[in-house]
Amino acid sequence: MEEPRIGVYVCWCGTNISKMVDVEAVTKEVSTLPYVVLSKNYKYMCSDPGQDLIIKDIKLHNLNRVVVAACSPRIHELTFRNACEKAGINPYLFEMANIREQDSWVHTDRNEATKKAIDLVIAAIRRVRFHEPLQKRSVNVDPATLIIGGGISGMTAALEIANAGKQVYLVERADHLGGQVARFDLTFPHLSSARQMLLPMIRKVENHPMIRVYLKTELQEVKGYIGNFRARLQFMGTDQPEITFGNIIAAVGLKPFDPSVIEEYSYGKFPDVITSLEFEDKLRAGRILTKYGKEPRNLAIIHCVGSRNKKYHEYCSRVCCMVALKFVHEIRAALPDANIFEIYADMRAYGKGHEEFYAMTTHKQIIFLMYDQQKRLPVIREAHRDDDCNMLIEMSELLSGIDIEVPVDMVILMVNMEAHDNVRDVVRTIGVSLCGNQFFIEKHPKLDPVATTTGGVYIVGTCQGPKDIPDSVSQAKAAAARILGTIAQGSVPVEVTTAMVNESLCCGCQTCISVCPYTAVSFDEIKKVSVVNEVLCKGCGTCGGCCPAGAITCKHFTDRQILSEIEGIMSMSY
Amino acid sequence: MSQETIKPKLKLAVYWGAACGGCCVSVLDTHEKLLDIVAAADPVFWPIAMDVKYKDVENMPDKSIDLTLFNGAVRNSENKHMAELLRQKSKILVAYGSCAYMGGIPGLANFFSKDEIFKRAYEETESTVNAEHVIPLPLVTVKEGSLEIPVMFNDVFPLNQIVDVDYYIPGCPPQSERLIEVFTAVVTGTGLPPAGSVVGANDKTNCDECKRKKSDNKKVKRFYRPWEIQDDKETCFIEQGVICMGPATRGGCGVRCVDGNSPCRGCYGPPSGASDPGAKMMAAIGTMIDANNPGEIDEIIETIVDPAGLFYRFSLPGSILGRKVL
Repeated sequence: MEEPRIGVYVCWCGTNISKMVDVEAVTKEVSTLPYVVLSKNYKYMCSDPGQDLIIKDIKLHNLNRVVVAACSPRIHELTFRNACEKAGINPYLFEMANIREQDSWVHTDRNEATKKAIDLVIAAIRRVRFHEPLQKRSVNVDPATLIIGGGISGMTAALEIANAGKQVYLVERADHLGGQVARFDLTFPHLSSARQMLLPMIRKVENHPMIRVYLKTELQEVKGYIGNFRARLQFMGTDQPEITFGNIIAAVGLKPFDPSVIEEYSYGKFPDVITSLEFEDKLRAGRILTKYGKEPRNLAIIHCVGSRNKKYHEYCSRVCCMVALKFVHEIRAALPDANIFEIYADMRAYGKGHEEFYAMTTHKQIIFLMYDQQKRLPVIREAHRDDDCNMLIEMSELLSGIDIEVPVDMVILMVNMEAHDNVRDVVRTIGVSLCGNQFFIEKHPKLDPVATTTGGVYIVGTCQGPKDIPDSVSQAKAAAARILGTIAQGSVPVEVTTAMVNESLCCGCQTCISVCPYTAVSFDEIKKVSVVNEVLCKGCGTCGGCCPAGAITCKHFTDRQILSEIEGIMSMSY
Repeated sequence: MSQETIKPKLKLAVYWGAACGGCCVSVLDTHEKLLDIVAAADPVFWPIAMDVKYKDVENMPDKSIDLTLFNGAVRNSENKHMAELLRQKSKILVAYGSCAYMGGIPGLANFFSKDEIFKRAYEETESTVNAEHVIPLPLVTVKEGSLEIPVMFNDVFPLNQIVDVDYYIPGCPPQSERLIEVFTAVVTGTGLPPAGSVVGANDKTNCDECKRKKSDNKKVKRFYRPWEIQDDKETCFIEQGVICMGPATRGGCGVRCVDGNSPCRGCYGPPSGASDPGAKMMAAIGTMIDANNPGEIDEIIETIVDPAGLFYRFSLPGSILGRKVL
């Protein structure tokens, strides 16, 4: 290794850092450390003059390592790496010490904060000495896209991509397109027909020259990596020719919760206790009738069935409150004299036009009854022979504090949306992660909500979490835009800081294989060593951390680099 | 007379620090090859086999011993003095065996302080009656004269924390065959790697040679001690829930323990890429715990008996951890 020549730059960040850290003292303290050729400070290192300072010094003083002590590397690591590159040194020969978010902003004692800044800078200096140059890499992108799920999200994404002239393979397990929306009668809050919205869309998808629809088809296996996937499909149990594509959209949706596990509601026991989806079927058929063909005189709609309850699902399904209100409108139109009871736990009307929709519904002569989801669920039981209703709902009405009985002929259970039973298979096939509620995890909950940590794999619609149609459609269009972006580029950069197996040390214990969240590690049966696919690898470091033989090195996070950093941070004794 | 016998014989020393004697025996365990060793080398200092006094060593010229095999850890002032003396007198100083290499079994004392050890040993053990709280002192003067014994240190050190070491031969004890290989290399002066290397051991860890069936299906619902399971004699121990240090331990022993249906205990120490075998093995074992909720994970971890002693059995003083913080 060439002799390290390190330049250290301490940023004031205006007064953001300099107010709480004695920048001059830090600069001076680290200037005499081994291999430090120069140490300077400047008001704004990220500014053009700040970057120019680094670039000039690299050329003038022949620096081959750079440390900048400033803000979080999340903000400006790339800025300074680019500056290094401009000056002709490899961008990975740079290290950043965070003396703002992790120091000046969180401390109130200037003396202590200065000491901490010195420790952090020394750690970076010790580390950067062992940095190695790394080369950027990219892969070409196959312009076709695989979309899993033919619901409204999957179809929207398919049309968006196909309309841009790119091939789409749309795989649907059922024998028709449309997903859950195909079961809806009207939509909220505008009470427009779901069918009128959906049918033209299905026609467009089916007839689009750039969309190939696979119905009754299951995904068997996906191999490859961003830009270069291939898949095996199975149509009704028979294998289909392999398809290749560059990106994947998972739009597998959710399914309705089965309420038969909730004893209080006797679903499955009483024929006129039905789920919201079963009620949609009645609405689409145009007749609201009980099992025995009578028009119900009393209808109750119970909210939060399987939702917001630790016994079933802790989360809120987001759409059921509005669907329940939509039912009121549809029932009132069909049965003007019926008694309608909205038995709710909380009324959630967060979306555009939703609160107004709620206000409008309250004028429909219905009775709102509140129950305490945490304390006691309402109980449905059979009515007496001489009661003039089929069933009674016993409940503690929360607002009045009174225990009441509600007469009903039909009960609609607003069931939660939950993951499909086979979600884990899908997850394993395409390499995404699940949260505790079995929803697919997005790359960043705020700033990257449709991407996943696996390159080239996107998630849209309710499989990412319960949501309504407009949100699903927005996500589908967002993912389509992301994919069209990579297709337009033709290639995508792949992770540089990947893991590497030293074959002369790997003993073949295979500890690393199952820990990889990206299925990037496999076992070479001939050489009897583990192999990392560098395109799949995201550099998370899990395999390197767990390799008992020390055979796996994570580039840019080698043991040597990390231990030197720790030694640096521990080296000052005040 | 052949050429070899005219060539001056090498001078060989074998010494023990904090050791059990097993390493010295492993030299004798070369059986008839010992005759080849003494044909090529004269033992000049080897307390287990011959009577040589400290002063005899002190009187030897510097660098006059060609090869010293120092076994045992450095635990007291006598060990340290001898380590320094032998370094001064030897051309090649080898840390021989797990204790000299990384601290070994005596190194587990670094999980305690000297005071705690003295209290346990001289006051608390079930067989001790010591109402006057007598503990060993380095210097005791009685009317007949004064008695001096070495000072016990608070820490156990591997040899390289006291003096520069040329080579390391790991093992508890090292396999005699491997000693012969190294010895032959010294005698012929060929095939020795750069100073500071581990010799008489492999680059890869034990799994490489282990004949048991291994897969990536390492999921453990509870850990067992070897006697708690019916070993099927063919599946990887870890996959049966028995912690085997094999993946984190240099090969070289010939996987004898596993061949004898006992999990590897880790005496050959870590491979070159892993500076802290205990931490490496704990990280690996951590990934195998087949549970997602913290309570269940804790329950599974509870089934690992004496984790510190298990994972650092031979390596505590030489690892990054070093010792328990006092």
